[in-house]
Amino acid sequence: MMLQNSATPARVLGLYDEPFWKRLKQDGRLSLQCCRHCSTWRYPPGPVCQSCLSPDYDWKPVSGHGEILSWIVFHRSYLPEYSSPYNVVAVRLDEGPTMISNLVEEPPPGSVIGRRVALQPVEMDDGVTLPRFRLLD
Amino acid sequence: MNRLSRVAAVIGVGHSDWVGDWARVRAGERPDDNYGYGASAFRNALADAGIDRSRINGLIVGPTTAYERMAEVLNLNVRWGDQADAVLSVIQAVTAIESGLADVVALVYGNDQRSVGTQYGGPQAMGGDMFLSYVYHAPWGMTSQGALYALMFRRFCELYGVTERDLGHVAVAQREGSSRNPNAIMRKTISIEDYMAAPYIVEPLRLFDYCLINDGGVALILAEANLARRLSGRPVFVEAVGRYDLNQGATSLEPRLTEFYRPAQQAVAEQIFGASGLDRKDIDVLQVYDSFSVHVPLALEGYGYCGIGESGKFMRESGIGLAGALPTNTGGGHLSESYMQGWNHQIECVRQVRGECGDRQVPDCRRVHYCSDVAGKAVSIIYGA
Repeated sequence: MMLQNSATPARVLGLYDEPFWKRLKQDGRLSLQCCRHCSTWRYPPGPVCQSCLSPDYDWKPVSGHGEILSWIVFHRSYLPEYSSPYNVVAVRLDEGPTMISNLVEEPPPGSVIGRRVALQPVEMDDGVTLPRFRLLD
Repeated sequence: MNRLSRVAAVIGVGHSDWVGDWARVRAGERPDDNYGYGASAFRNALADAGIDRSRINGLIVGPTTAYERMAEVLNLNVRWGDQADAVLSVIQAVTAIESGLADVVALVYGNDQRSVGTQYGGPQAMGGDMFLSYVYHAPWGMTSQGALYALMFRRFCELYGVTERDLGHVAVAQREGSSRNPNAIMRKTISIEDYMAAPYIVEPLRLFDYCLINDGGVALILAEANLARRLSGRPVFVEAVGRYDLNQGATSLEPRLTEFYRPAQQAVAEQIFGASGLDRKDIDVLQVYDSFSVHVPLALEGYGYCGIGESGKFMRESGIGLAGALPTNTGGGHLSESYMQGWNHQIECVRQVRGECGDRQVPDCRRVHYCSDVAGKAVSIIYGA
């Protein structure tokens, strides 16, 4: 169930998405938009703050730490880049937003809901740096 | 009272030959296209209503077809028209009738999704232009809508002690219904053991938790209430409607993972039960949009048919089969009858109220609650005699 590296399936690259990927590749840290007025973090990237609707923001690094909300194991392959079985996790970042990602290691037996995780950037075969996570404790 | 209560009634229902077309498509044929399936359903609904086509002055088509082209194919000039999904098309028809824009509205849906290989996963997934969550997480291999519900169900189990075996009661109960439904594609009954023995698709969901993908069409004809009484000997009234959407955090799946759609369903329950003077005890049959079985336990809890966290026990002990406390998806639903994106459920609602369901008829069925909770958009209709 270890994830094999491959090319990256097509990303959604709207007007606000590019810095997310570029910054991760450049400095190996996860950066998100942070509202300049009320400091609310947002993900996925977008035009205004969900909290105060301000259009002013900065890209800032986050801790890369979070907690697993849920996880699943694909037993069927829907994408040529991912051969089953493989895992997907939902991680709530300490800064607030939830991200869908993968655990780089095989999930241990039993539930991993509530487990602490840290960012583990992975270089994919096509050169994209993908933000994945590893278990902390 | 809700202003849309008993303003309109369904006077005709029809569908294409789901079973025959399933076999033809599996044999490599392409029996029809979206418009053709819609047209066969429309012919059958007209015959069921016993009215002339010229009486129709409103048309709503499903999201798979263009409004103008479907109207051209059916040769319908109308005073009012639109395009909407199953549940919203019924509500929009009632709204148009209430406001006097039309008094006999046809709803027509056709979908050739199986024969043309429509994708429900991957970067090109159908609906990705409307729901960013369907495509946004593809770089992590997170695709197919079943996976979104698997993620939701895993956390639901963890928080409330519901088990995978409990979920199996949905597929088992719906097969009981479809085994007695000549229009159903899957007619072999299954046991909980069969369910548990089936392979995982996206763990914790198994094969029988997933809907079919088949070609077909559905049509309904609604008329203003007094007109419906004159035109039809057996009108089925729209008693109440309600809607509430959870959109905050939708792409990150927040409404699924942290709230299980519940606040939306609870708000809708207040609208449909509070406003109509009806309560849950007045509901004889529940119909749930079941792209995946997971929708059923969530609906049982969200709409208050059992307590929070009690859906596993409810399905296991009270029962959602034909003889259970709350017969649910009696025709087999999307899992076992036909995947018509909520449209076939409308027909089953009408037929149960009319008492036309043969071996799967729920005795003395007076009211049916239909609910659709796709992507946190909770919408409900109560149909009644």
